[in-house]
Amino acid sequence: MSRSVLVTGFLFLAAGLGLFAAKVWVYDIPLVPADTPGPWQVELRIHVRGDGKKGSVRALLPAGSQEQLVFDERSSSDRLSFSIREHGGNRVGVWTGWLEDIHEVVYQFRIQSGELVVEIPQQTDPSQPTRALRKRYTQPTSELPSTSADVKEVLEELDLPSPDDLLGRVRKIFAFVVHEIDAVNGAGSDALLTLARREGSDEGKERLLITLLRGAGIPARVVRGLELRDGAAPEPRLWAEANLRGVWVPLSAVQDFFARRPGGFVELGRGEQPLVEATGVRAVGHRYLALREPLRPDEIASLLAPDNPILARLSLYRLPVDSQAALRVLLLLPLGALTVALFRNLIGIPTYGTFMPVLIALSLREFSLTLGLALVGVVTALAVVARSGLERLRLLMVPRLSILLCIVVLFVTSMALAAESSMLPDFFAGVVFPIVILTMLVERIYITAAEEGLQEALARGLWSVGVAAVVHPLLRSPNASYLMFSFPELVVAIMGLLVWIGGYTGYRLADLVRFRGLARPPLGEGPG
Amino acid sequence: MWRALRRQGVLGINRRNACYTLAANDRSLFPLVDDKLETKRLCIEAGIPVPRLLAEARLHVEARGLPEALRNVESFVLKPARGAMGNGILVIHADGKGGFLRGERLVSPEDLVYHAAGIISGLYSLAGHHDVALVEECLQTHILLAPLSAGGVPDVRVIVYRGIPVMAMTRLPTERSGGRANLHQGAIGAGIDLASGRTLFAVHKNRSIVRHPDSDQPLVDVPIPEFERVLEIAVRATDRTGLGYIGADMVVDAVRGPVILELNARPGLAIQLANRAGLRPRLDAVDRALGAPDTAWQQALPVAERVAMGQAFSSRSAA
Repeated sequence: MSRSVLVTGFLFLAAGLGLFAAKVWVYDIPLVPADTPGPWQVELRIHVRGDGKKGSVRALLPAGSQEQLVFDERSSSDRLSFSIREHGGNRVGVWTGWLEDIHEVVYQFRIQSGELVVEIPQQTDPSQPTRALRKRYTQPTSELPSTSADVKEVLEELDLPSPDDLLGRVRKIFAFVVHEIDAVNGAGSDALLTLARREGSDEGKERLLITLLRGAGIPARVVRGLELRDGAAPEPRLWAEANLRGVWVPLSAVQDFFARRPGGFVELGRGEQPLVEATGVRAVGHRYLALREPLRPDEIASLLAPDNPILARLSLYRLPVDSQAALRVLLLLPLGALTVALFRNLIGIPTYGTFMPVLIALSLREFSLTLGLALVGVVTALAVVARSGLERLRLLMVPRLSILLCIVVLFVTSMALAAESSMLPDFFAGVVFPIVILTMLVERIYITAAEEGLQEALARGLWSVGVAAVVHPLLRSPNASYLMFSFPELVVAIMGLLVWIGGYTGYRLADLVRFRGLARPPLGEGPG
Repeated sequence: MWRALRRQGVLGINRRNACYTLAANDRSLFPLVDDKLETKRLCIEAGIPVPRLLAEARLHVEARGLPEALRNVESFVLKPARGAMGNGILVIHADGKGGFLRGERLVSPEDLVYHAAGIISGLYSLAGHHDVALVEECLQTHILLAPLSAGGVPDVRVIVYRGIPVMAMTRLPTERSGGRANLHQGAIGAGIDLASGRTLFAVHKNRSIVRHPDSDQPLVDVPIPEFERVLEIAVRATDRTGLGYIGADMVVDAVRGPVILELNARPGLAIQLANRAGLRPRLDAVDRALGAPDTAWQQALPVAERVAMGQAFSSRSAA
């Protein structure tokens, strides 16, 4: 290895590891993710289209509470001014300005949402202004027609316990809505319609619950928020709160909770105000995104804003949620490339294509290793057989490769169908299967088999799969993902290692095996 | 093991790539040797013998005309201009009735066109690019080497470093290799003593052998015909390319003597096994004789003198 290679590699390594070490020891960024589920990073994206009039966009924002720790809130919007207002007891973000063409508004926050458990008091707290409360939260509204004849009739049929048994009354109404009303997607969200049809949407069931509670003289109100789910977009939810002896108790006939709301819910506001609304616009649309972080809030804080302004600026945790998700995968690729370089240049393992093992492993990220490799194996084997059938037709290369591609696509499609009807319903969801890579693999295996024999083709295929199998757990490891995402400077360190590997001119392991016959001193036979 | 290989001066793949093929061979000159048409042109200009070009097909339309054009040719070789490792090469003989034979098997005109079309589509080319299908005269095995080869023509490879031949071997096809002269396809490699032009050792499938597995002929101490001329041609051909580290593949034709088949800018390392010797002592000797590697590799020395240098270096390392 030449001196310049040694030095260059060292400089890269030192730069990468130096920054890494500084972040770990000086700024206390943890090395491994916490094993407790961490906070969520939630992002709201609103798109509005205006035609040159002044207008505004409003969205309900989360308020902090004991169970709902909100931090690192950020707003970005093009050409609109942003303010946070108090409206009807809710925190409302307001973006105003001249709405010309399409504007994008992004609001991000991090939230630690714990379980909410409410103790229902045995006696009414005399300090509570129950009367005003009762007046406000039992009166009928257009959405909650608590005094309508149908509601009265049902309440009579329910034969509620006496007003002294407050909890019994609530439970009876709750049980009625939970058990007697079917949840039907797409059914109405109107309380009376839901009651009459004995079926309604999730929202219809919750509204009916609130309406019945109000009809029975129990203060109740609508809560709006999100349910955060792993591996899926947050679901906008609506649930109820009933005031029992001066305490607001959360309950939901759909999520089936009563006084104990599980973690993972974000409370955004109360009342009928929609999650997002806009005035002075032609059209408005919005969606929520969420990502769970494997860190404690204080650790995230250290990552988000290390005590160093430059580091804080370079933190990837500040990026939009979807680019974060993409970067988490992207930053693992250098690790895979390093592994391939080790296998090829230090060990000397022949593989199909330089990065094919990494790409195979990457595309199998969603699967367990055995399942993924079995999948690749089956598809490849079938396609190689099909390829030898194609040989008879004598087609030119590009169309032949394209037909092979079609065959691979068909195989994958039929496997998805087979999987759907048998064991694994969600088999191919969201997986971009490496169709093109598989096609090239098939062609290469076939050519190698024809040119150099089946044994060589299989050996090289097995080596490729072997390297993929080594890379695969790396790409799936949450620790590796966390490490590379929190310390992207490690990529520079990997570059240093690669410089060293690239400058290594010693023997590969495979050289030692191949030339082992030369290790013995010459026998001195033969002429000359 | 590691130390023993070092002591023997065995060249590993990493070192070959970093110090020889990358350092001595200017990438921009690769097309000269990767494209056999280009190499042929180069050699003809320099008066170096090459196999005669009978036909070429750049387009699929031209491929369709090949069977007609070759109907009365006694034997020919169909190969890609940019093939690697002997892939995609088809040796055809006339069956005397206007048909084509590959070995014992009849090859239809459609088979021939299909193969040529595959070549043109880039099936065998180094990077899968569009390629040219060449038809060359079929060379005849020299009478001295005939007993040593089964079903194909043996070739001679000479490694030329900075204009000096450093190592040579002959590759003898076997029945197992299907007439091909590639070691990993089952051909025999026999190292050649540069000074005497006689084979030193022979390896088959990484194992040392002394007799040909098909014909049972002895493989060691066989003289290679016109070997001095082989070395001279190899040196002159590489001089024309401007490349510093090359494997020149040649055939000693029964009639025309040594001809250049192709030049290889990334010659394999198996030649060390066939010679039971490492390349490094010889390469280092060349570097010592010619000065630092970054000085002009191509010396004003006459070819004969450089051949003599190579012979001297190889015998010194053998001693």
